[in-house]
Formats: sequence, C-alpha cells, structure tokens
Amino acid sequence: MHSDTTGSWTPVALSADLPAGTVMPVQIPAGSLALWRTDSGHTAASADRCPHRGMRLSHGFVRGEALSCIYHGWSYAQAGNCLRIPAHPGLVPPETIRVVTHMVEEADGVIWVALGRPEGRPPGLEGLVPLRSLTALANIDAIAAAAGGKTSPQGIVEVASGTGTICLLLSRQDEDRTLIHVLLKGITDQAARIAAVRSTESLRRKAEDIHKKEFAQ
Amino acid sequence: MIDEWYPVGLFSQLDPAGRQTALMGEPITVGRDAEGNTRVTGGNGRTLPVRLRYGHVWSSLGEPKKELFAIPEADQPGRRFVDVGVVRVRCSPLRAVENFLDVAHFPFVHTDILGAEPHTEVQNYKVEIREDVDEVWATQVKFYQPQAAKSASGGITTEYMYRVPAPTCSVLYKTCPPRPSEWDVITLFVQPLAEDLCDVWPWMALFDDTTSLTDLIHFQQTIFLQDRSILENQIPCLLPLDPGMEIPTRADLTSVAYRRWLKRHNYTYGAQLVAQ
Amino acid sequence: MKLYDYILSPSCYKIRLMAALTCVKLDIHPVDFHPGAEHKGAELLALNPAGSIPILEDDDLVLTESSAMLVYLAAKAAPEWLGRASAEEAARVQQWLSFSGRLTASLGGARLTEMLLRPGDIGALQTQGVLALRELEAGLVEQSLRGMRFLAANRPTVADIACFPYVVLAPDGGVPLDPYPAIRLWSRALRGLDHFIEMPGIHRLHELKPEPHIEPGEA
Ligand code: FES
Repeated sequence: MHSDTTGSWTPVALSADLPAGTVMPVQIPAGSLALWRTDSGHTAASADRCPHRGMRLSHGFVRGEALSCIYHGWSYAQAGNCLRIPAHPGLVPPETIRVVTHMVEEADGVIWVALGRPEGRPPGLEGLVPLRSLTALANIDAIAAAAGGKTSPQGIVEVASGTGTICLLLSRQDEDRTLIHVLLKGITDQAARIAAVRSTESLRRKAEDIHKKEFAQ
Repeated sequence: MIDEWYPVGLFSQLDPAGRQTALMGEPITVGRDAEGNTRVTGGNGRTLPVRLRYGHVWSSLGEPKKELFAIPEADQPGRRFVDVGVVRVRCSPLRAVENFLDVAHFPFVHTDILGAEPHTEVQNYKVEIREDVDEVWATQVKFYQPQAAKSASGGITTEYMYRVPAPTCSVLYKTCPPRPSEWDVITLFVQPLAEDLCDVWPWMALFDDTTSLTDLIHFQQTIFLQDRSILENQIPCLLPLDPGMEIPTRADLTSVAYRRWLKRHNYTYGAQLVAQ
Repeated sequence: MKLYDYILSPSCYKIRLMAALTCVKLDIHPVDFHPGAEHKGAELLALNPAGSIPILEDDDLVLTESSAMLVYLAAKAAPEWLGRASAEEAARVQQWLSFSGRLTASLGGARLTEMLLRPGDIGALQTQGVLALRELEAGLVEQSLRGMRFLAANRPTVADIACFPYVVLAPDGGVPLDPYPAIRLWSRALRGLDHFIEMPGIHRLHELKPEPHIEPGEA
C-alpha cells in the first residue's frame, strides 16, 4: 500500500459533471468513493460507505457545506467528521465518528483524487478542453489498440481528428473496465465536437471488441 | 438456522405445476399435489415439512424443534388479512429484517408518509430479549408520521411495538387509527434464497373497513420499494455482527438487540462475523 | 380523466408525473397488478385487450399507449411540453418517444424479472438496457453541446417524461447508473422541476429543502 510520502493522482470526473451541491459515485482501485461539491463550490471525496449502517454515501445529498446520508440523514463535513445525527438533534456527534476522506484537486476542468499521499499536484492539461467521460468494458491496452495510438506517460492516448486531436485520459477501474475522459485539442466548433462524441462511441465499441477477443478470459 | 421455519410462497397462489424457488441455497419446489395437499420438495426430491399460516406456505430444510411462531391477532375476528406479494431484494435477509426494525430512516426514505423533517428525533424506547419466549421485543417506540397508514388522514404520533420471533421474520404492531384500543399488525416474512439474496413477503392483519384491498397493497408495496434501493446499496452486503464495523446510537437499540440475539443463537446465515 | 394505475409501474408513473407537472387532476383507479394480476382480468381486458396498464379514459377516448397519453395531457393542458418549436425539435421528440419503448422492453423487463420474479432472460435484458442507456447518454452529451439540457430542447418535453422513469429505475433491474454522468445531470434537472412527484424507488431530493433548524437545548 501507499506509504505516507508516496502516492499518485487519478482522474475521476470532469468538473462540469459535478455542479455545486451534488454528489456522484466514482471508482478508484480501492473501491467506490462519494465525490461531492459543496454549495460554495469546494470539492471533497469520501469513502462511499456511511459509518452508521454502511449505506453508500454517493446516494446521499449535499446541503450547504455538508454531505448527508440518504438512509438516516447523518451529515459529514469535507474533513470527514460527523456534524449531525438527526435522530438525536441535541447531540454533538463525537469526534470518533468519521468517514475516510481522500485529497482532491481540480485543474483544467478535471477532478483528481489522491491515492495515498502524492507529492506535488496532478499533471496539468493546459490547452485541452474536456468533452465527456465514458466507461468502456475494456482495458487500457485494448483502448490504445482501438485508437491506433500510443499511451503517453500521463496515460493520455491521442487520436487525430480533422484539424485537431482527441485526447483520451484513461483511468483504470478494474481489470476489464476503464474510465475514459475525452479532452479536445484544437476542436472548437459545435459540429466537430458533436462528431467527436460520435467517434468516441465508435472507439469504445472497437475497444470492447478487441478486449473481448484478446484480453478477456 | 437450518431448523427454522421460512416463508416460501403465498398460499393463495399455489398451483399443481409447482413453483421453483430456493431456500438457503438449495433449490426447492412449492406446489400442490393431486389431493390438494401442499407439498414442498427439496433439491434431492425429499419432502420438506409444511405449515400453512398467515397467508403463506412455510417450510424448513432441517427439523424444526419449535412450532411456527404464533400471531394471535391472525385469529381475531374483524381483521382484514392482506397478502402484499413478493419482492426480491439483492441483500442479506438479516439486513432486510433490521431495516424493518428501524424508525430513524422514516423522514429520509419514506418522506411525507412515515416521517418528515424536522420531526427526526427518536425518543427513548424499551428493548429486551424476552427469555421466556426467546424473542426480541421493542416497545414504546413513538414517531411523528405525516401519513402513518392508508386509513390515517393528517399527521399523528404513532406508537409501535416490534417483535422478532424468528431470525428472518418480524411482526410490527402499530397504532390503529380507526380503533385506538387495538394494534394493526404488519409483518415482514423473509425467505432467504442465499446469504445475499432474499424474497420478501410482507403480510398485514388490519382493522380497516373502508380502504380498498388494492389501496392497502399499494401502500405497503410503496413503503417496501422505498426501502429496497437502500437495502441493495449497503456495504458490506452481509450484516456485520461484530461491533466495530458500524456505529449504533440510542435510536438503534432494537438493531443492537437483534444482532446480539442472532449471534447468541448462531443465526449467522447472511451475517458477517469478523470485522474486515 | 381516469387513470388505471399501478403504483410500482414506471409506465403508469409517466402519466402521474406528466399530470402533476402540468397541474392536471387525475381520477386514479388502482389496479392490483401484483400479486393479483387484475390487469389480465375480464374487466380490464375489455378496456385494453393487450392486458397492459396504464389505461387512460376520458369520455369515449381510451388510450393504452403511455406516449399517446403524455401527448394528450400536454396538448390539453400545457402545449409547450409537446416540443414543436422547430422541425428538429419535433423530430427529436418523436425519436425519443419511440426509443422509450426500447427502455421499457430492456430495463423494464430486467426490473420485472429481478424484482417481481417475472420470467425473462435477465442477462440479455440487462445487456440491451446498457446499450439503450449508452445511446441516451450520448444523446444528452450532444444536446449539451447544442446548449440544451433536455432530450429535445432546452426545456423538458414529453420525450423526457417518456424516458425518465425506466432510466432512473434501472438499478431496480440490476443495471447500475454510476457510469452515466450526463444521465445523472438530466435526471437531477427533471427531479428539480416545480410540481415534480416521485414514485417508490426515486428518493426525494432533500437538498431542495434547507437544513431544519434545531432548537437549542433539545435532546
Ligand atoms: S447509514 Fe448513513 S445515516 Fe444511517
């Protein structure tokens, strides 16, 4: 596992997919997280399990600066400490009730979560405009093969498209599943961006075929 | 747990063809033979014990040492008996029962029906394991409810009693709006198909002469379906019996007693013993 | 207007939801679909020989297709929900109305099999459901690039109501919604509409209400 000074950043979602006051489930290799944004715009990532009775917190709701569980309404701060137990309105929840949290960074329209304790910040993606995220039932090699490109050290696969480039920022979910963040370079007009959406659909189909033939057991 | 009684079907829906289902991982068939007798057959063709009670067929894979638990209200004149029908849930049978014993979730899961903010407080209530009958009981459970039953109009503080007479069954007694001196009876009978999969058969014995049967069924199905999406999303799937994995408060004393009682009897099908 | 209704049916919910959003009062007639199978009884077969619900009755008009009911409610009470501002918009409405039948067959079929034990090839139903969800997700991403938040326009139309229930209840049939960010945003936008109503399986958006005030000293 990660020691205190090592770790890495993994891209879990696009900023545009997480408006203020919402929560969504995201996957990291260790499992599911509840990724949420407070009403004032701060992002936070909590383990996707309420310490009370284990309900997934990504099914919960955000009010103000806290995330509440849908089951009994316990609410948690960004730091993970429990703020409120509605069944006991007068009770100040003890410090020991906490949900595990992960560091989050947001840059260039992409939200990253820390695995372990990485030094430094996530890689910059200046000049790339996020288009969408999609999940493929294929591993990273199958996606690279389908794209006919190579994977850069940051895990980006580049595909030429008209006058610009479609960049695929890949995040491994498990052995046969990859989250693809599609970012565009030099593709700005609406028709070309819509065409890029359609070509990512084709690319996913191709990658899943390759994966089924070559990698799946 | 193998020697306990479990619900395996609705008596009213028995047919000669027999229904294929399962009990604790073993495929079983529930049907009616040429003479009209109800038969439950195990995976290897052996005949399993049968009881017909509370609208349902009951059976067991083992040799039950005790008779099926009694619900005296089932013989009381004037009550209407309602078969609510089966709902399958991908969860531990024990988690399904525990959810049924809980009132603190009403404002968030059964919003504007069984509870509503800001009325979220759970007052102290009494919980005990009644040694003479070997059942878990919670009494004097009170909760503010916007629409406690189909027969209730407007909000009232409802009083509840909960009873766990068998590891996957619970009987709830609740304030009966048309007859303040009586209790409505709502049960949750859970058929464990596997440790993480169950068929839930709610059943009711009510004093309500005005609401249509369909309305009564729909009301209870609404409530249970609101719970279903919770039950399928608890982690871990199995019910943790060892302390440390989850954090109970005073509002959860029924659940604490239920877990303790399960552990004491080694009722661990659908449970997780070691905190991971 | 009389609706033959089952509380757990996503198709019936489409009609209840549309009526609520357009402030039309329905006379609801509950049908014991499960466990009673009342929709296969003589009385309801006389109204709808196909043996399905919902059925909407208004004087001598009897509708048995939910998309037709949505159009009827919108045309009567709130024509802006019909989505006829342009040729593209009108066509998109029809496209998604027809597409909603695929959602019913796949995700709806998976839900009946997983939840109410109706016979069905669960693996095939779930696979078809995932394909339909991917199509809807891509459609919504394209719409957002056009500056539109809903399936046919920048306002909700009958097309959204036709697709919403089976999509949002997909997890009931064992099909997770986690991988679809555009569907999540769209479903949230619909759930936040004035007069929106839920059905069992769709929780209240509690965040739309402020945190209740706690009296000091209450314990
Ligand atoms: S499980 Fe989260 S508040 Fe109870």
